[in-house]
Amino acid sequence: MRRVELAVVGAGPAGLSAAIEAARHGVEVVVFDENQRPGGQLFKQIHKFFGSKEHRARERGFRIGEDLLKEARELNVTVELETVVSGIYDGLELVVTKNDRVEHLRANAVVIATGASENMIPFPGWTLPGVIGAGAAQTMCNLHGVKPGKNILMVGSGNVGVVVGLQLIQAGCSLEAVIDASPRVGGYGVHAAKIARTGVPFHLRHTIKEVYGKDRVEGAVIVEVDEKWQPVPGSEKDLKVDTVCMAVGLSPMYQLSKIAGCETVEDPSRGGVVPICDEYGATTVPGIYVAGDVSGIEEASSAMIGGKIAGASAALKQGYLAQDVFEERYAAFRKSLEQLRQGQFGHGMKGKKITHTQEGIEVSESLLCRGFVDESEILRFPGIPSEEIRMRGLTPVIECTQNIPCDPCREACVKGCIRIGESITDLPSLSKEVQCTGCGMCVAACPGQAIFLLNQNYSDGEALVVLPYEFQPLPEAGDEGTACDRSGNPVGKAKVLKVQKAKTMDGTAVLSMIVPRELAMTARFFRPSGSEERRA
Amino acid sequence: MRIKNHPILGEFDKGRTVAFSYNGAPMTGCEGEPIAAALRANDVIIHRYTSKEHKPRGIFCAIGRCTDCVMIVNGKPNVRTCVTPLEEGMTVETQYGLLTQEEAEAKGAVL
Ligand SMILES: Cc1cc2nc3c(=O)[nH]c(=O)nc-3n(C[C@H](O)[C@H](O)[C@H](O)COP(=O)(O)OP(=O)(O)OC[C@H]3O[C@@H](n4cnc5c(N)ncnc54)[C@H](O)[C@@H]3O)c2cc1C
Ligand code: SF4
Ligand code: SF4
Ligand code: FES
Repeated sequence: MRRVELAVVGAGPAGLSAAIEAARHGVEVVVFDENQRPGGQLFKQIHKFFGSKEHRARERGFRIGEDLLKEARELNVTVELETVVSGIYDGLELVVTKNDRVEHLRANAVVIATGASENMIPFPGWTLPGVIGAGAAQTMCNLHGVKPGKNILMVGSGNVGVVVGLQLIQAGCSLEAVIDASPRVGGYGVHAAKIARTGVPFHLRHTIKEVYGKDRVEGAVIVEVDEKWQPVPGSEKDLKVDTVCMAVGLSPMYQLSKIAGCETVEDPSRGGVVPICDEYGATTVPGIYVAGDVSGIEEASSAMIGGKIAGASAALKQGYLAQDVFEERYAAFRKSLEQLRQGQFGHGMKGKKITHTQEGIEVSESLLCRGFVDESEILRFPGIPSEEIRMRGLTPVIECTQNIPCDPCREACVKGCIRIGESITDLPSLSKEVQCTGCGMCVAACPGQAIFLLNQNYSDGEALVVLPYEFQPLPEAGDEGTACDRSGNPVGKAKVLKVQKAKTMDGTAVLSMIVPRELAMTARFFRPSGSEERRA
Repeated sequence: MRIKNHPILGEFDKGRTVAFSYNGAPMTGCEGEPIAAALRANDVIIHRYTSKEHKPRGIFCAIGRCTDCVMIVNGKPNVRTCVTPLEEGMTVETQYGLLTQEEAEAKGAVL
């Protein structure tokens, strides 16, 4: 029987990070994944990540995936693809199936990093072709380059829903609406705002009543729900869509850990049933560790740190790592993880209603109910310069209003224009004395696309608004079009002054447009003329 | 349905164009992409009909887990088209229960 020092199940961010960490200390590692390509969810994630530099913030998921694979290769980690681990039995014996061939192998330690599966809610018509999971939508458009549909309804406003929603628009699909039964947007406000300003309506407190069509989706009926989650009669809306995309949550894939004999517990704050584990990822079965979504739904950055912790633990256990070196590394990983878990979306915050930010500022209701900060609310946030400053010349306008673990804006500005307090979740604010040169780096770096530059006194009666732009076709200098507000409503004429693209901006174009001065704090999106009006 | 000039990913690095057949009709797709992606690009989204209730099914997970996308490929039923790479000259057929349409009709199944 083949024998390995460490077997890792799952080649997602958690599994690969565990493998890399263990291999770095000399452990011989084999990673198994049932897919044809490694990387788990990472290669579908084409947006820039949040967090800090150490969490690889402002890098896109698929690039992080490429780097993990390279690192694993350099450390001689073996990755066996199209290989399913179907069982783990006494004495850490793994049952591994590849091409219908079953192999048994023995491992000294196992890291289970099987990720999560997508939830589904049944409704009339839910099995019709055209009802797909958000993961499927991402796979089709970001891996295979094929649109999953033309007119799409997104069900679920959590981070998966809003992120995949944006990716569908980037792929050229028309996102008709985002609905959620909850009264508040579940994902980061900055993610929601990116799609709201393209004109996508958010219908909160709405659920899907039915999807209809002969043999394939031809439309969907949504309905409002009241406080008791009961449908409100007469509130139905019929949406002409050919695709319904489900993003209603993830459940940890704990099944393999259960087969292995690990004790499990139902923990709603982690997304469902999870294997019981300690802070080192150790389960109740000696030698078996868990990391990533299987141990509780979070996101890719925390999955990577969880993986490192499990990998280091497995190395320690086999004597490849001295206790004191382990302690030191563990403390650093822990600190990094704790940073990501702070803030209003952090650990234990799920479902809690937040009325004020850490700074004591009243939160934007509009952001929670409609997906964008209303103009009447924006002025109270610390990233918004006073009218006097806006009239003086170019200044950043930072529309980042929730306490999320993120700071690339501060990193991006070499001039020191942008400040974030002690905690990484503090709201970004503006330094008073410093001069913005208009380089656009902060605009491109912000994973929330929440930073704009503004010169309210560009010329007589005109203002200059600079915004991030990640759509095709990319407008060019001189193009005329429509300025839209934060909800995507057309508010006036706009003319493109220039479009900056640079390697360091990593795919985010920085578009400067000239608008009538009175729209300086209103216009936040550019719609080229000729592109269809979403909301007539 | 194919994405051209993606704002982040640019052009997709796809295989050469190959011919295959779908329920006897000629179609083209990119070599090596999942059969389901090639079908989607040709606006085919019904992959099979369930055996008892005869309900249509199409892609749901796109990663080989749900089996909603199985079809008869080169005569072999239950092939998960979302994870099976397209090859030149493949025959791809809608699956009725476990059968092709012809077989199902021959057995007198209500279609
Ligand atoms: C549709 C979708 C969108 C998401 N979007 C984001 C996002 O935008 N940002 C973000 O940070 N997070 C996102 N997530 C969350 C995502 O799950 C985490 O970011 C991260 O991928 C978790 O890493 P992981 O390594 O735990 O799991 P995964 O990345 O899911 O990797 C697990 C791997 O294990 C394999 N596997 C499972 N069981 C077995 C077995 N028995 N044998 C062999 N292999 C097996 C799986 O095939 C998979 O490749 C999203 C998740 C989904 C489903
Ligand atoms: S545009 Fe450049 S100088 Fe101005 S705030 Fe942003 S990064 Fe700093
Ligand atoms: S403004 Fe700063 S803290 Fe807010 S999302 Fe952008 S980079 Fe992150
Ligand atoms: S779509 Fe789920 S297995 Fe193919």
